[in-house]
Amino acid sequence: MFFRMIIGAFQRQWKKMLMIALTVALGASIATAMLNVMLDVGDKINEELKAYGSNITVVPSSEAVMSNLYDVEDTEAKEEYLKEETLGEFLTIFWANNITDFAPVLDTDAKVNDKAVKLIGTWFNHHFEYVKKGTTYERDTGIINLRSWWDITDGKWLDEAKLSGDNYAMVGKKLSAELGVKAGDTISVKGDAGTESLEIVGIFESGDDEENYIFSTLPIAQQLSGNTGKYKKAEVSAITSPDDELAIKAAKNPELLSGDEYDLWYCTAYVSSICFQIQEAIPEASARAVRQIADSEGKILEKTELLMALITLMSLIGATLGISNLVTSSVMERSAELALMKAVGAKNGQVTLLVLTEIILTSVIGAATGYFMGYCFAQVIGQSVFSSAIEMSGMVAFLVTVLIIAVTLVGSIPAIRMILRLRPSEVLHGGH
Amino acid sequence: MNKKHRMFIRMVLASLLRRRSRMMIALLAIVVGATILSGLGLIYYDVPRQMSSQFRNYGANVIFTPSGSSEMDQDEISKAAAVFPSDKLEGYTPYRYENTKLNNLPVTIAGTDFSSVLKTSPYWHISGELPDADGKALVGKKTADKFGLAAGDSISLRNSFTITETTDLKNIPDQEIYTDPKTGEKYCDHTLDLKISGILETGGSEEEYIYVSLDDVSNLTLNNRSCDIVEVSVAASKDELKAYLDEINKNSDALEAKPVKRVTASESTVLSKLEALVLIVTIVVLALTMICVATTMMAVIAERRREIGLRKALGALNSSIIAEFLSEGLVLGAAGGIIGSVFGFLFANAVSMNVFSSSITFRPLLIPAAIIASVAVTGLSCLIPIKGAVDVDPALVLKGE
Repeated sequence: MFFRMIIGAFQRQWKKMLMIALTVALGASIATAMLNVMLDVGDKINEELKAYGSNITVVPSSEAVMSNLYDVEDTEAKEEYLKEETLGEFLTIFWANNITDFAPVLDTDAKVNDKAVKLIGTWFNHHFEYVKKGTTYERDTGIINLRSWWDITDGKWLDEAKLSGDNYAMVGKKLSAELGVKAGDTISVKGDAGTESLEIVGIFESGDDEENYIFSTLPIAQQLSGNTGKYKKAEVSAITSPDDELAIKAAKNPELLSGDEYDLWYCTAYVSSICFQIQEAIPEASARAVRQIADSEGKILEKTELLMALITLMSLIGATLGISNLVTSSVMERSAELALMKAVGAKNGQVTLLVLTEIILTSVIGAATGYFMGYCFAQVIGQSVFSSAIEMSGMVAFLVTVLIIAVTLVGSIPAIRMILRLRPSEVLHGGH
Repeated sequence: MNKKHRMFIRMVLASLLRRRSRMMIALLAIVVGATILSGLGLIYYDVPRQMSSQFRNYGANVIFTPSGSSEMDQDEISKAAAVFPSDKLEGYTPYRYENTKLNNLPVTIAGTDFSSVLKTSPYWHISGELPDADGKALVGKKTADKFGLAAGDSISLRNSFTITETTDLKNIPDQEIYTDPKTGEKYCDHTLDLKISGILETGGSEEEYIYVSLDDVSNLTLNNRSCDIVEVSVAASKDELKAYLDEINKNSDALEAKPVKRVTASESTVLSKLEALVLIVTIVVLALTMICVATTMMAVIAERRREIGLRKALGALNSSIIAEFLSEGLVLGAAGGIIGSVFGFLFANAVSMNVFSSSITFRPLLIPAAIIASVAVTGLSCLIPIKGAVDVDPALVLKGE
């Protein structure tokens, strides 16, 4: 009998039920889309902030603490280098997947037509493979992504995948004007240990000192300076979590942390823990956070996440009010029907159960539809803003279900109780 | 006002007052919609401005360099800085670099204004304190490690140079002029004692320098050369910034103002994404909320089919019924729009205070926008069910079919 009444209600009042389902679906889709976007916005903005370039630099540790204080005679202090093999270790650390790009840098003094210039050897979009303990690590990485602000004013980026050999260069705009060269020209660069002729692939404008330099491939800088298989420093761009109290405490000295704190710190992508892991993997290196980038990233992420959280909260309040409002109105509209049921002998509990079952069934159908609508909206937002998919969290599905059922109950129970409190005859008479 | 109009107004008002609980439901729906519209609208318009000042944490986005034709002195710098509106200018810091010696090893010192340096480089990590007076120095971590220095230590910078006929002797104290007994050459040996107040950590090239006040650099070098570079931090969009820089470059011969491309280009990339995010979120949420408002209104009106049927049976014209219901809807829409604008402002302000710790800029235009939108949505969502009701035979409606 109960089921027959419910099915009957759906058949007779499908228009009203549809309206409720639609409203619930809209509310659920707002909740789903906003919660998913909110949970993913940190990662997305973090990727965008990579535009500012590397947030970690890796230098030889002996350079970081130079101890030859009394070595006054030797003014040409011996330069320290890192071995090229160590570059692969970046891919083996715990947070390797958070390292979006890295590039070795080797700078050397050279001469072009007797003019002293600085040549920097690096990776542009280098395909890199590293085998360690039977595992092969692969990565395409280089400074193309670490210099997003460069404008190529002539020619194009040095594309290592398309060019064969190493004898290519990109020249800063200022230097190119001084040398009188343009893209397509070939220059002869004389270093301490050899001479190389390089084809200029592009001229770039960077707005800083780098406009005075020549950027070439790593092997060229190594041959010109005679530092085969070595690099001076590495620029690393990693996705990090904003620093909190634990990170600040750890930055002073990781050994002062308790066991649990240490584990938590080590397994969180703080800039300090990534630096620490790089140093663990390459003992002769010192990894340092570039404060200008790392600090600012943290602050902007924090603000964006808070902003999105509050917008989400506002939308959720709006959606829940909208749903409970409609549910209340639809229950009140059925006062005559409920009164009639009571008049023919139904108990309060029976009536309440019947109405609640109907409404919750409708809501669940609406919520399921809304969840998929929300999924679509989230993807529309992700694709149109960040050109990448928004990751859907399983927690959101659960949260939205709980929220919708709670809102439906909150919207309907007071209305049902109010109607049941009235005397059936009054309601049926129409005196309310 | 004739009788007919008065009756009409009384009917609309009476209907709103009599059916209080239903009208409250409808009003609540509209208020929620209008709140979201005005709240999100305010946030959307204010986000670029608010975020832009957050991006100033990346430090200077403009630099002034001497153009060469005349000296970049303090007057010229403040004149150029005055081009930026004071509420957008975070600060500007001059730097003057000189090579000198510490323990007979070459070091670079940078003279600066410590009162503004943290405004243009908020990311500096200082262990110890920022120097607050002349005679104190801030030492970069790399240099500190190299020389084994810590906060509280004293250092002595030495500036020695040979005096030639072209040297200006005006500023050089006599007791510091020595004559080499072998060659007969005159030279000056000038020292400056400083106390280290803090060690600077940035992870960048700043760690190689020793920072002192501009006066101390003049004391050490015995000349008053103007600074090499001025870092400026301005919270402005890319286009605004370009306009300011053009104006400075047009009016000043002494200096050239340039954007720091790394900071400005990256900022506009990230900021445009953020703006797009807030815009699309606003659009999606707003569209869904408006549909939500419409369904509620439709439900409230649909419930009154019986009333419509009764009026028709009593001889009311379709047009007068539509006019009455519409005006009810419009009154509700306008009231909801006004209340919603107030709530929206309060909410947007609360968001702004929480996130950016500054109040939101009020945009009066959003109030009429919220009212018009609520009236339009309410009107449209009333019209559909009324149309349906008035077109049906009153007998059928009253029978409840």
